[in-house]
Order: sequence, then structure tokens, then C-alpha cells
Amino acid sequence: MSDESRNLDRIQRWMQTVICWPSGVEAGIASEEAQSKIPLQSSELDTVITASSQLTSQERLGIYANAYYARLLECLSEEYPALVCAMGKTAFGAFSMEFLQEYPSTSYTLCELGAHFPQFLKETKPATEDGEVNWTDFLIEIAWLERVYSEVFDGPGIERETVLSAETLNSIAPEVWPELRLKMAPCFRLLEFQFPVHEYISNARQGNSPTIPEQQITYLAITRRNFIVRRESISQSEYFLLSKLEQGLKVGDAITQFAESGLMEPDELDVNLHQWFRHWMASGFFIDVCDS
Amino acid sequence: MLKPRLGYDNLGLGVGLRTVHFAHILEHEPEVDWFEIISENFMDSEGRPRSVLEQIAERYPIVMHGVSLSIGSTDPLNRDYLKKLKSLAESVNAHWISDHVCWTGVAGRNTHDLLPIPYNESTLSHLVKRIRIVQEILERPLVLENPSSYLEFKDSTMTESEFVCRMAEEAECGLLLDVNNVYVSSVNHEFDPVKYVEAIPAKRVVQCHLAGHTNCGTHLIDTHNGQVIDPVWELFQLLHQRTGGVSTLLEWDADIPPFPVVHEEVLKAKNYMDEKLHVSEKSFVEKAVANTSSTAIPHPASFITAEVE
Ligand SMILES: [Fe+2]
Repeated sequence: MSDESRNLDRIQRWMQTVICWPSGVEAGIASEEAQSKIPLQSSELDTVITASSQLTSQERLGIYANAYYARLLECLSEEYPALVCAMGKTAFGAFSMEFLQEYPSTSYTLCELGAHFPQFLKETKPATEDGEVNWTDFLIEIAWLERVYSEVFDGPGIERETVLSAETLNSIAPEVWPELRLKMAPCFRLLEFQFPVHEYISNARQGNSPTIPEQQITYLAITRRNFIVRRESISQSEYFLLSKLEQGLKVGDAITQFAESGLMEPDELDVNLHQWFRHWMASGFFIDVCDS
Repeated sequence: MLKPRLGYDNLGLGVGLRTVHFAHILEHEPEVDWFEIISENFMDSEGRPRSVLEQIAERYPIVMHGVSLSIGSTDPLNRDYLKKLKSLAESVNAHWISDHVCWTGVAGRNTHDLLPIPYNESTLSHLVKRIRIVQEILERPLVLENPSSYLEFKDSTMTESEFVCRMAEEAECGLLLDVNNVYVSSVNHEFDPVKYVEAIPAKRVVQCHLAGHTNCGTHLIDTHNGQVIDPVWELFQLLHQRTGGVSTLLEWDADIPPFPVVHEEVLKAKNYMDEKLHVSEKSFVEKAVANTSSTAIPHPASFITAEVE
């Protein structure tokens, strides 16, 4: 590396530190991190950045500092609109500032910017003594589901795949079924929440200000059809069975485990299984059957 | 001899493709000449954005405009990014690939902003070297845009226009001249925008950008909202006279109006393409009312929100 390019490197590291400094440009310049790149008194800023007749060098640098947080906060707000609604803009802004210190963007795409937001909320959650589910858990669950929506929306889907047709399924002899395994669609997600966050999110995204729901264990099956994310609330029984199938158990073994779970009376089992499988197939939860 | 626009087509008057217009474009197939996409919003997409892009690419010429190449950074070039850029270009038949004369981050980070570099001999050779590598990987001339900027470095030994001209000649790359950015920077750094446009090597200009900005009183911010103001149109007219016409595109990224409004705005360019018209000196005055709104964000990023039923 030549002397000159080392200079550029120093300027860039210094400028990035200063414009991303959470408490502002002046504190940024004074910070140890910035000083290690370019040792500088605030009053000497003109030796790095020139002033214009209208703005001081510090004001000019400040435009980039403001833009950094404003732009990224706007992106996070667009990815997490329901979380903004639940937390309020001010609290969301404050959390985002902290989040951006902890998880600054390291990717060329903004799609990755908010990836760790649910995890960050979890990490910053104050510890509760009794381990009780509370308001913070509700917020974490909203963030988690909104992130899943983003990933399913832009991730791999089944729009270009041939999904399992009724003919294929009908051609499978009943006695073969127990030995088969089902391959889930790549956009399929099975989730369990402590709150009905899916309803809250839909409501908030429609521009309403929904009230905070009561705690209620909620199971969701999420997938994507025609490039739109679809979510449906399912029963605990469906959740149990789908999660066994998702784990790769043979259909027969999954059903046996379900029967043993005591979640359903044996005489109800047959009717329900039939209906569920028909519905799951129609919803495109599975893309293939395999017998190995 | 160098061909005009480095041999790239003059695609006419285009519009920056934005998510809010997807449905309108698919349904009405408006008679717009071409679309420019933000590369990063599509290169990893396996969902609706990519699918819509493929449908649009069947009917319209596509140009790829990136915001994360970071050609001016001292970090190593991201080869994985370049590979994806190239493969997207192949799949949508992109006419060319552009980005900005800037850096976006260092030490592995991305600020998602177009940050200025000092303009001097060493930064020039740094950029030229990197542009050459990128062109080798992409197997085509790269097209680079002059950014709007809000500060200048003491370390600069040449003007931006001098830097951009020499960079284009030495790296043998193309230029995307954003006449709104020239105007915004000319006010912020108190230089003559006409001289800037007059100095540009005309044959290297592949494309032109138009946009609106926000007047903050003491400086201008490149917000990509609202209409193109007269002084910017006059720079466009000058550029048109100098180049003989290049692909021209309007960027509108904040408070985005319905598609026909955006399209109509870029069509105004036709009024400035008459060779005989003279650029009137007196109108190079910022007419917009000072708007000191602190919410103005330079070139707002476009994030695609998931659609959920
Ligand atoms: Fe531009």
C-alpha cells in the first residue's frame, strides 16, 4: 500500500467513525477511535474538510451524519411497520440507534440490514425474575414474524416449481403412504408464538392502531403463493404433526407419534387427518414425496 | 476512434423502476422508452421483485444502476457482489451497468450512503486501478456517475470535473452525468455548473440523470423528489448539445407520485433537445423557495416491503 492510499484509508476510517457516531459529529471527532485515525481538535476540522461560505466544515460533515441514521431508520421502519406501531416511533427510533451500533450493515443489500433486529431485541430484553411472558416478549414476537415475512417474500418459492398434483397423490397406493416422507416447500415456515401477533401485524399494516392482544398461544403456518406471503393460524394438533413431517419423519411414524401424543381422541383422528392433508396439499406446503 | 456513448445505444427517455409502480406498469404497459433498476434490490431476489423485473425486461430495455460497488473504498472489491451483478445483467439483458464515483463504507461496513472522496493524484490512480479490475470481471465498460456531495476535502488538489474527466479517460470507462447532482454540488461547493458540463468528455457520456432536490437555504440536498427545476433543465440542454443526445432517466425516490406523473416529467426533456435553443445565462438561479425541513435525506434508499395476505 502506498503512502497516499494509506491516507485515503485513514480518511475513510475516520469519516465513517465520525458520521456514524451516535452522539454526533463533535463527539465523534473527539472519540478515541477517530483520534487514532486522525488526531484532531474540533477547531482543526478545517484541516481535513473545508468550509463553504454558507456552512462550517462541521455542519457539512453533519449532513452525512444525519443522513446515515435517517436513511437506515427509514429502512428499518419500512421492514418493521407493526413494531413501530406497537413501540411508538420514538422508542423504535431509540432502539434502532442502538441496534445500528451493535449490528451495523456489512452487506451490499439493505435486505440484510434488519436481519438481526429480532435477535437484538431479545438480547436487550431486561431479565424478569419470574420468567413471565410480558410486553417485551410481545414486541420480540412481532419483530420475529415481520422478519419472517421479509425472508419468505423475497426468498426461494414454489411459483416456478411443479407442486404435487392431485393425480400424483391419487396414484399413491394407501399402503405406501406410511413409508413416505414429504418435502416441505422452501418458503414454508412453522412458528409458535405466545401472542396472536399475526393479527396485530395485519391490523397495523392496514394503518390501524390495534390494541395489544391478550396472551394466547398461537401456531402459524406460513408459505408463499403467487409471490404473496400467506399465513394461517393452525391448531396445536396440526402444528404437532406438521413439525414432525418437517423434521423428515415418515408419514406413518409422524402419525403414530401424533396418536400417542394424546392431542386428539382416536376416533376423530381419521377424519381430521384426511381433511388436513387435503388442505395442506392444496396450500402448497409440500413440494414432493419421497420413499427413501 | 471513440464512438459516441462508447457505442452504447441512446435508449431515449426512461424512468427509474420503483416498487410502487409495479402494478401500473404490468397492467398498462406505458410507452416509456426504458427502465433503470437499482441492482441491489434484485440481485438476490427470488420473489416478486425479481419476477416483476423479468416480465418488465421482456418488454423494455433495462439498465442496471448500483449503489454498493464502493469503487472509491480502500476495502477490497467484493468479488461475490460483482459476480452476482454480472449474472443479473445477463439474465435481464442489461444494456449497461452503472454505479457512482464514491465510497459507501470501509472496514467491512456499508453506510448505504454515497460518500465523497478527496480528488487528487493518488485517489485517481486508486480508482482507475479498481475500475479496470471491475471492467475485466464484468467484461464491459463500467459507467460511473458523479454524486451529489455536501463537503469537500482539504486533500483535494483538483476539481470534481477534472477528476471525473481524467478518471474516465484513464480507466476507459463511461460516464453517467447526473445534471441535478452537478447543480446540487455546484451550489454546495460554489462552482460554475456550466463549466463542469462543458469540461466533460462528451463521447464518454453514456447516460444522463435528472431529478428533483431540496433547497435547505444554506445548501441543497439531492432528495430525488419533486420536479426538475429550470437551471437543471438548462444543464441538460447543454449536455444534449454537447453529446448529441444520450439515454436520459428521471429518478424519483421520495413522495413518489403515480407513474404517469413521473413519466410526464421526463418527457419534458423533449423541450430541451432543440439544437437551436440557446442556454440563457440569467436563469441559472436557484428559484425554489428555501425549505429548511430537516427530514431531507439525500438519495433515499428504496427498501422493498413484503406483501402479506
Ligand atoms: Fe443520479
